Amino acid sequence: MSAYNELIKNFERIRSYMRDFYVYGFKSRDGYQSKSARSYDDERRRMESWLGDHMSFVRTPEGKNVFISIDSRTIPHNPLYNAWKAKSFTDGDITLHFILFDILHDPAVRRALPEILSEIDGKYLAGFESPLMFDESTVRKKLKEYCEAGILTAEKEGRKVYYRRADSTDVSSLTDVLHYYSEVAPCGVIGSFILDKAVTDTDSFTFKHHYITGAIDSGVLAALFTAMREKRAVTVTNMSRRKDLPRRSRIIPLRILISAQNGRQHLFAYLPDFNSFNSYRVDYLSNVKPEDPTPRFDELRAELDRMQSKMWGVSVKRNKWGNEHLEHVEFTIRVEEGEDYIVKRLYREKRVGTVEKLDEHTYRFYADVYDSSEMIPWIRTFICRIIKMNFSNRTQENKFKQDLNEMYRMYGLDGEVKP
Amino acid sequence: MIFSELYSAYYNTVAAIISRILDGERNEKELQKIVTERAFGESGLTILPSLNTEKWQLVHSDMTTPLEHTPTMPLTTLQKRWLKAISLDPRVRLFGVTFPDLEDVEPLFTPEDYYVYDKYADGDPFEDEEYIRQFRVILEAIRDGSQIKFEMVNRKGNTMFIRCRPVRLEYSEKDDKFRLVTAGWRAVSTVNLAKIQKCVHYTGEKPSFGHEKEPTYDTVTVRLRDERNALERFMLHFAHFEKQAEKLGKDLYLVRIRYVHDDAPEMVIRILSFGPLVEVIGSEEFRGLVIDKLKKQKNIGLK
Repeated sequence: MSAYNELIKNFERIRSYMRDFYVYGFKSRDGYQSKSARSYDDERRRMESWLGDHMSFVRTPEGKNVFISIDSRTIPHNPLYNAWKAKSFTDGDITLHFILFDILHDPAVRRALPEILSEIDGKYLAGFESPLMFDESTVRKKLKEYCEAGILTAEKEGRKVYYRRADSTDVSSLTDVLHYYSEVAPCGVIGSFILDKAVTDTDSFTFKHHYITGAIDSGVLAALFTAMREKRAVTVTNMSRRKDLPRRSRIIPLRILISAQNGRQHLFAYLPDFNSFNSYRVDYLSNVKPEDPTPRFDELRAELDRMQSKMWGVSVKRNKWGNEHLEHVEFTIRVEEGEDYIVKRLYREKRVGTVEKLDEHTYRFYADVYDSSEMIPWIRTFICRIIKMNFSNRTQENKFKQDLNEMYRMYGLDGEVKP
Repeated sequence: MIFSELYSAYYNTVAAIISRILDGERNEKELQKIVTERAFGESGLTILPSLNTEKWQLVHSDMTTPLEHTPTMPLTTLQKRWLKAISLDPRVRLFGVTFPDLEDVEPLFTPEDYYVYDKYADGDPFEDEEYIRQFRVILEAIRDGSQIKFEMVNRKGNTMFIRCRPVRLEYSEKDDKFRLVTAGWRAVSTVNLAKIQKCVHYTGEKPSFGHEKEPTYDTVTVRLRDERNALERFMLHFAHFEKQAEKLGKDLYLVRIRYVHDDAPEMVIRILSFGPLVEVIGSEEFRGLVIDKLKKQKNIGLK
């Protein structure tokens, strides 16, 4: 049994723990039934080490509940990025890394493998009591890995291959850009990696309504973006909440749909086997494997562009023969004197809908969308002003009204209410 | 590949330690400080001991190193691809910087590859020249700790003349707006950047007093019924707050959320959006705000 180490080899396991600790946070140790107690203890300890004060706990009759609680408005940088900076390595990996970059300290310096091997042993390791031994294939493998990562280049001259450090990129003028985009851009953790190498720090920016959870999905997101750039299909594992077992699917990723209001990120994709479109929660996806490029990518993305004018959120209703089903949603609100901000809200939040002024105090919103149920939470934010509604999907309209009645009951307003 | 030791806190910390050793530092306590600052809570148990014991053969037991150069590493292709991607974002013009030459680099993503579908439509005019100019004046003053002066029209339509020290810029992705957080301005501490006019550096001699105002926090407590996946939706929706959840019984949960007092109206509608699956049980004041809205709704009628 290996000893505990705060570094990890595989990100996928910690990903689900972090999500549980951050998003939920009410589970005790016993609540993680699908995972072993030892594994729970180790992962909890790691997160405490990475996240420090952001980890909290509370004692309940069921035991100690550990959770991550962060007011993201008060922090300039996403602490969950730390998990991406905890990859384990061997003693040889780290020793070789620093020696290689000391040998290849400038892009003007080039060395062939035999020269590198000789310098490692003669110059760098000779002074140690029990020097590590690096055989030729280990060093060659490392050099190849670094060439693939883009930090070294290899030049062939006859039968000899020479290695150089890649040219440096001057990012000294980008400090503010990096601070800002490492928080707001997709895969911002990569910007955080660049910042880690820089000396300067700044607190010029903070962020409101800032969902930091997506950080733990950056690996999946980067793989999906890469597939989209290369117009490739991918095979992914989807752990849907509706199914017990994860399912592997071959899909063509078309766009990432991000919510700034509910913290969710979806992949919108085409399923060639079913001639259908579907959206997948990015946090439920794993193990993205690139497949062949597809000639249909541009055509499918153009189709998505068209469909987006009927999407309130991430849902579409289109069958495999291409027939679409749209639902009409309409509601009218009344605004009082001095409530211009409500009208402004309607206009700025209407997305694919239309707002029409009926008179000084009355405004009508309408839209034709694939899935009216996606709009219900938003419409509820106008509670106290809704005077009329008309959904073509009667079930949704009735549900809205039933819910409203239930809320009246819940707050003791089921009888007559005085204005 | 994002998950790589090349980006690890350990590699960065060891690079910083070797740099200090090359500068002549031998004191272990000083080197341990680097570990505390740059790595994780328990890294102190591993990093220096691994170097001291020659497990990682980079530093001799007398705290000298066979390395001759300050450790640095060029950007990886992944880092360059991400940089290229952000160089394509329209907001990047705000910063007035020239990106390094990334001509041969494929972006990791382009604006076509993702879409934030629910951000508000009245975001800041990021491509407006005057907005960009003011943004840069403010950013510079934040870095320098200097003062600015500007004008803005208040809610009553009166023009206000303001001198203050900008502290930081707060960006909301939902609003797609920057707010300027200030110090030394008695009336207000935060203002939407788009409302600022004629902003320039203040070159006078009047000093700036005061600090950023500490926000007042309140807590709202709700009882949540986990139907229609409400628990997950709710916890994710409010994930960016300090919060605590507790299981009360089967499918029943208690959640406390700490929020800035001034954001109460926004919190009320966000909680209302969950309908009858979430009931506010505290504070009384917050519950009262919800009840007021429901009363009005009931009285207004709904056809």
